[in-house]
Amino acid sequence: MNNDVLLKVDDVRKEFPTHSKEVVHAVDGVSLEVRKGETLGLVGETGCGKSTLARCMAHLYDVTSGSVWFDGKEISTLSRRAMRPVRREVQMIFQDPYGSLNPRRRVGSIIGDPFAIHGIASGPERKKKVQELMELVGLNPEHYNRFPAEFSGGQRQRIGVARALALRPKLVICDEPVSALDVSIQAQIINLLADLQKEFDLTYVFISHDLSVVRHVSDRIAVMYLGKIVELAPTHELFGQTRHPYTRALLSALPVADPDTADSREQIILGGDMPAATNPPEGCRFHTRCPKARADCAAGEPPLISVLDDRQDHRTACFHPLTIGEDMSTAVPDLKAS
Amino acid sequence: MALLEVRDLRVSFDTPDGTVRAVRGLSFDVEAGQTLAVVGESGSGKSVATQTITGLTRGAQVSGTAFFDGTDLISADQSTLRRLRGAQIGMIFQDPLSSLHPHYRIGWQIVEMIRAHDTVISKQAARQRAAELLTLVGIPRASERIDDYPHQFSGGMRQRVMIAMAMALDPALLIADEPTTALDVTVQAQVLNVMRRLQEQFGTAIILITHDLGVVAEMADEVVVMYAGAVMERAPRRDIFYRNHHPYTQGLLASLPARSGDRLTPIAGSPPSLISLPAGCPFAGRCPHVFDKCRTEVPPLTDVGGDPRHQSACWLPHTVSEAIAS
Repeated sequence: MNNDVLLKVDDVRKEFPTHSKEVVHAVDGVSLEVRKGETLGLVGETGCGKSTLARCMAHLYDVTSGSVWFDGKEISTLSRRAMRPVRREVQMIFQDPYGSLNPRRRVGSIIGDPFAIHGIASGPERKKKVQELMELVGLNPEHYNRFPAEFSGGQRQRIGVARALALRPKLVICDEPVSALDVSIQAQIINLLADLQKEFDLTYVFISHDLSVVRHVSDRIAVMYLGKIVELAPTHELFGQTRHPYTRALLSALPVADPDTADSREQIILGGDMPAATNPPEGCRFHTRCPKARADCAAGEPPLISVLDDRQDHRTACFHPLTIGEDMSTAVPDLKAS
Repeated sequence: MALLEVRDLRVSFDTPDGTVRAVRGLSFDVEAGQTLAVVGESGSGKSVATQTITGLTRGAQVSGTAFFDGTDLISADQSTLRRLRGAQIGMIFQDPLSSLHPHYRIGWQIVEMIRAHDTVISKQAARQRAAELLTLVGIPRASERIDDYPHQFSGGMRQRVMIAMAMALDPALLIADEPTTALDVTVQAQVLNVMRRLQEQFGTAIILITHDLGVVAEMADEVVVMYAGAVMERAPRRDIFYRNHHPYTQGLLASLPARSGDRLTPIAGSPPSLISLPAGCPFAGRCPHVFDKCRTEVPPLTDVGGDPRHQSACWLPHTVSEAIAS
């Protein structure tokens, strides 16, 4: 494995059984690498598998097949006990600053948990470390004995950040960390995460359904649809040189807070709903809604490769990728034509 | 005269911790066929205000007036309100699942709603109308899906069902409270598109309550920016984005993830408690331009640059908006 790679996901599949004996193919053959010091954005809509993938990365789920490697070591097969030292280095921040903090415990002990679990510090030493962390994330250390309910949403997310950073992890997986927050508060947390990344050389996987947030924080972005990555590229290329029709549709659907742009652009409105992950379409999974779909899209599955004259770094899973400047708003699918 | 004229609306709730003053002197007009966006963050009072207008807040102390087509909705009795709701004023909410009864087929629910207001229509004709409405909001195979239950629809499709229901009796006003907040962006684009299309077709006025400035830029004619229960600024859409005056409006826009990839500019601190509001301007504690007067006197909503359509509640000079605008 390349030295720059901190985490590697290799052909990971994660399936969940349902009551009706069907199988949800939540993540269906995903491979990607997270490089040291970068922020890798993971975007997609509800049910695309981004959160499941994140949990597989942190080995909170056992993968159905495939493997996850952290710092050169395969972690997807490790037992709970063997996973323990790795947990210190891979941490998660969750969306819901209400649901992820025990309401009956004081924030000092919530943030101090990682020290207790890993037997690192106790007594006054632990308290000192916790208060340093609180200061670091912009909380008043004097509020050590307060309960989560006494904090606002933004402050609670700071508690979640402090807890994640307690053991000085190398990788932090942020699953929709700002989605529940108001915009003015969201910006505070995004800036905080950026400062901490610089200070501690952190690597982030940043999951969000909000493209404008992901665009702001990420060095590279992976776009997911129905359990698969459809496009993976450096941020500026994903936006400037969009190849996959689904990526284009996603970008086009994003409301822009600028009346002139909103009035002048041609929006691409996708038809229908995302198909069920219990029974994904054959071939390219997006072909049932894709304005550019042709016969081959239904027949075979496009591999995630660099297309047209893209560099190795920009990979797209599409048989008919968009060329630069191509207008997709007038495209019509034709599943009989090749 | 405007379709809806709200004047000095005040809503407060008694809680064990004290009186929450959720809406404090709100006034606005909605013109026929236009979209008024009410934008604000959690606790700004934007939802409470419209729920009060439609008589949906319980146990609140309410004062002020809201004249809709000659009727004051605030002083109207329940039966008048019931008659207006649905027939004249349609409503859609953030979570369509909690607004649809899980036990009944959606066609039945739409038919019930139509027949509750139209006592002469036959069941058959109401059902026909329900199918038309579902087609109108873009539900494929509407005549088959009319007999499905709410859980058989996706989130976006459910929200379309809600829009179909809200539009069933061709209301003059549609109140949409965060209608797309729970939806994915591609689905949001579909639903907003349906709302735009229906407005063009039927001339419905829309009050769109949202926290999303992107949605405001896409949909609004006029915008009201609320903070801590009061209006900070109101203006036509382009003025809010390009010639804004109030530091809170500017702060909201600056908080948005920028295209440049530079550092974001959040608004420092957090909103005040609605139980113990500070004297003076409610935004003073977070405002980068704050001066002494802001902390003692509440600034009134007054015209910006002599334009009565553009008002700001701020003590900064109202003549130099271009210079202050970010």
